[in-house]
Amino acid sequence: MISRPEQDGDRQLRLLGDAWDKAAEHWRDGPARQFGTAQLTPLLQESRSYLEALRKLMDLLETAERETEG
Amino acid sequence: MTGIHADIDALKGLHDALARYRHAQRDVTARGEDQLTATRASLEAKASRLRAQLELGQAEYTACQDRAAQADPDDPVDCSGYARAVQQNSERLEQIRLWQQRIDAEAGEFSGIAGRFADLLDNDLPRMQEHLVAIIASLEAARRVRAPAS
Repeated sequence: MISRPEQDGDRQLRLLGDAWDKAAEHWRDGPARQFGTAQLTPLLQESRSYLEALRKLMDLLETAERETEG
Repeated sequence: MTGIHADIDALKGLHDALARYRHAQRDVTARGEDQLTATRASLEAKASRLRAQLELGQAEYTACQDRAAQADPDDPVDCSGYARAVQQNSERLEQIRLWQQRIDAEAGEFSGIAGRFADLLDNDLPRMQEHLVAIIASLEAARRVRAPAS
């Protein structure tokens, strides 16, 4: 079964979060905090917003196909 | 020795993870667009089939009504089946038209969010990677400077 795109997007988001957690174990100086706050956090937030919107759109498309069958 | 360059390795790992993320999420966005295109095409194909059926059904219904008008009152022609078919196809066609409108509206809203995300992947994320490369280079340079004295 082919997964829906936003599910793959969610998985990628988790992988990036894991990579950041791993990096943050060893990189804890000021630039690290700055990078996390000013760059990574907005990226993760924007990604979540996009994936949520994509999920709603994919739900709508599935429903439209189902409701117009036959 | 473990951990001396752990921060650099971790940053390199994060840099690679960002590169993979960018590539994978661009694929996600492309698949989302493809699905939207496919569903629109599917609905249009259904609508087109129904319009053809409706046209045929209406012609059959009209012909039946003509026969009914000329029929012997003692032997009436029943056109209710044709009428029902026309009604059902009209309703299904209207339902598809409403779904098409709704999808257009939702896709319009979605395109704003998708545009911001695409911009982030194409512009912000490469800048983040460049920033990390600069930090890694600076850390490596500092280690090289310090290494002989240690």
